[in-house]
Amino acid sequence: MSNVIEQIEQQIAKLSTKAVKRNTGHIRTVADGVAKIDGLSEVMYNEMVQFPGGTIGIALNLEQDEVGCVVLGDVSQLKEGDEVTTTGKLLSVPVGKALLGRVVDALGAPIDGKGPIDSKETYPVEKIAPGIMARKSVTQPLFTGIMAIDSMIPIGRGQRELIIGDRGTGKTTICVDTIINQARINKVGIASGNKDFRPVYSIYVAVGQKQSNVVRTISALEAAGALEFTIIVAATAADNPANQYLAPFSGAAIGEWFMENGMDALIVYDDLSKHAVAYRQISLILKRPSGREAYPGDVFYLHSRLLERAARLDGKGSLTALPVIETQAGDVSAYIPTNVISITDGQIFLETDLFNQGIRPAVSVGLSVSRVGSAAQIKVTKQVGGKLKGELAQFRELAAFAQFGSDLDAKTKATLERGARIVELFKQPQLNPLAIEVQASILWTLQKGYFDTIEVKSVVQAAVSLREYLTARRDSLLTAIRTKAALSPEIEADLKAAAEEWKATFAAK
Amino acid sequence: MAADKKTKLLARQLFKLSVVDDQVSAEQVSGVLAWVEKHSPRQSLSLLRIYQRLIATELSRSQALVSHAGSLPDGVLARIGQAMTKKYHRMITPSAKPDPSLIAGIRVRVGDDLYESSVAGQLAALSA
Repeated sequence: MSNVIEQIEQQIAKLSTKAVKRNTGHIRTVADGVAKIDGLSEVMYNEMVQFPGGTIGIALNLEQDEVGCVVLGDVSQLKEGDEVTTTGKLLSVPVGKALLGRVVDALGAPIDGKGPIDSKETYPVEKIAPGIMARKSVTQPLFTGIMAIDSMIPIGRGQRELIIGDRGTGKTTICVDTIINQARINKVGIASGNKDFRPVYSIYVAVGQKQSNVVRTISALEAAGALEFTIIVAATAADNPANQYLAPFSGAAIGEWFMENGMDALIVYDDLSKHAVAYRQISLILKRPSGREAYPGDVFYLHSRLLERAARLDGKGSLTALPVIETQAGDVSAYIPTNVISITDGQIFLETDLFNQGIRPAVSVGLSVSRVGSAAQIKVTKQVGGKLKGELAQFRELAAFAQFGSDLDAKTKATLERGARIVELFKQPQLNPLAIEVQASILWTLQKGYFDTIEVKSVVQAAVSLREYLTARRDSLLTAIRTKAALSPEIEADLKAAAEEWKATFAAK
Repeated sequence: MAADKKTKLLARQLFKLSVVDDQVSAEQVSGVLAWVEKHSPRQSLSLLRIYQRLIATELSRSQALVSHAGSLPDGVLARIGQAMTKKYHRMITPSAKPDPSLIAGIRVRVGDDLYESSVAGQLAALSA
């Protein structure tokens, strides 16, 4: 009953006769999603302003006698002379677990037709990244489920790993696979009842993408049962540039909630090239001075302040970022790619040539690197995959050299044979991430020479057969590898027995 | 045609000349207009528009426009003028404007600031 009285009192308080002060201005011009406003003398930078009809905007340019605001909504209703008021608030988005499984726009409003989101908290879209003292170094792994990445370019929780490549080289696929793998690991971890298990929640931010592509990604996540652990923030090509500019920051705010509440989250920015283009558009309309490639001077700060928000916090959770950059004709030395390469903790470079050769994922081992991930790699992966990068590099060098002559010594031949098999083994179909224990088992089998007698063209088939054999008949062995995260002599003995049994059955086919 | 930087700067200089002791001086404004007419500087139309906007903004800062529904009790207008003069540390002249859309109460505008104490304003706040 007292609750009802309180509600009435609150309503009365709202209707009290006390005067409310508001700072106002009037629209002078509206064009291309940007309004120039007279007045608003007390407006703050990045403050939300209210236009008639409930439309909101953000004050981005504070000039001597006018304010430049980007309009986040329908500009067709706005006209010259309309009154604009300040709100005293920074732009905020709803955060929390209620958003899981939902598709929201750049302002956190649901766009999936599943009704309103029951979120009790909001976080500001723009926030200063955690400081030095609050941070902790990256030591916990985040498995992508892609063998080439987990074994050679490992990613840790709290890391920023760039995924870079031309259009159509599988950048989004790697991100979607990683999200699906997190959902798979979450389900296994939650089912195990392990109290120390920390699930990873995923946020996928689609910036400037075709709506059909976003629908395809949502469908893939839904089909893989990963949507329940995922939040999708969509600012598609149909949205105005202001929403495309804001979407990654909104996604970061949603991810920060998980991080600051002791949970782990993964955020994918797909992609930051289009984000930079949207920001360039806004900046040019706001008449900010342009620099290289017509980008504004603060385009580096735009991405650095966004990516610095990904961190592992001491005593709290982590936010891992996978920004995506699309290159033109493989040019990694362009303005935006070099900016983001220098901000992140490593990059996974995808090559068009490899993709066209059928090597998918088309990860270029030579140009890809993870600067902090090795500290997060588990022992079993180090044991079986520690030499892989060197072996592949040797293979590439010798393969180029071997083209000029046919007389090769036995050692060179062996290196070439092994290299060709590694390349084949790393081929992996999309939307099919592998558990780390399966990866470790397959790599151990390779290192021990069980693949040496199999023809190169049959390696992919053999790997599938081995995976099926292990999951169907050696589940206890896989569980032991997963829980111990290292190869003990007993596990190695079991692996040997399993590999020999599999080899006998595979050879008999 | 949009005004260039030089025109904007000139308009601002003319505006500064028109303000004496934090108040727009009618005499100075007449002088400025006479100067513009005589010398006809480039982009005169844009110059005068910018000048007009600056003067209008300055004038609105010295005026309290009191919109009200129904009749305004005696002495309220004067009291509002005194209160605003004290608050803004400058001479504020109040002026009344009937506005039935407010339903009841008053709304005071001084420059960019709006003081809302009307039923229409409260209903709008409730519906937001």
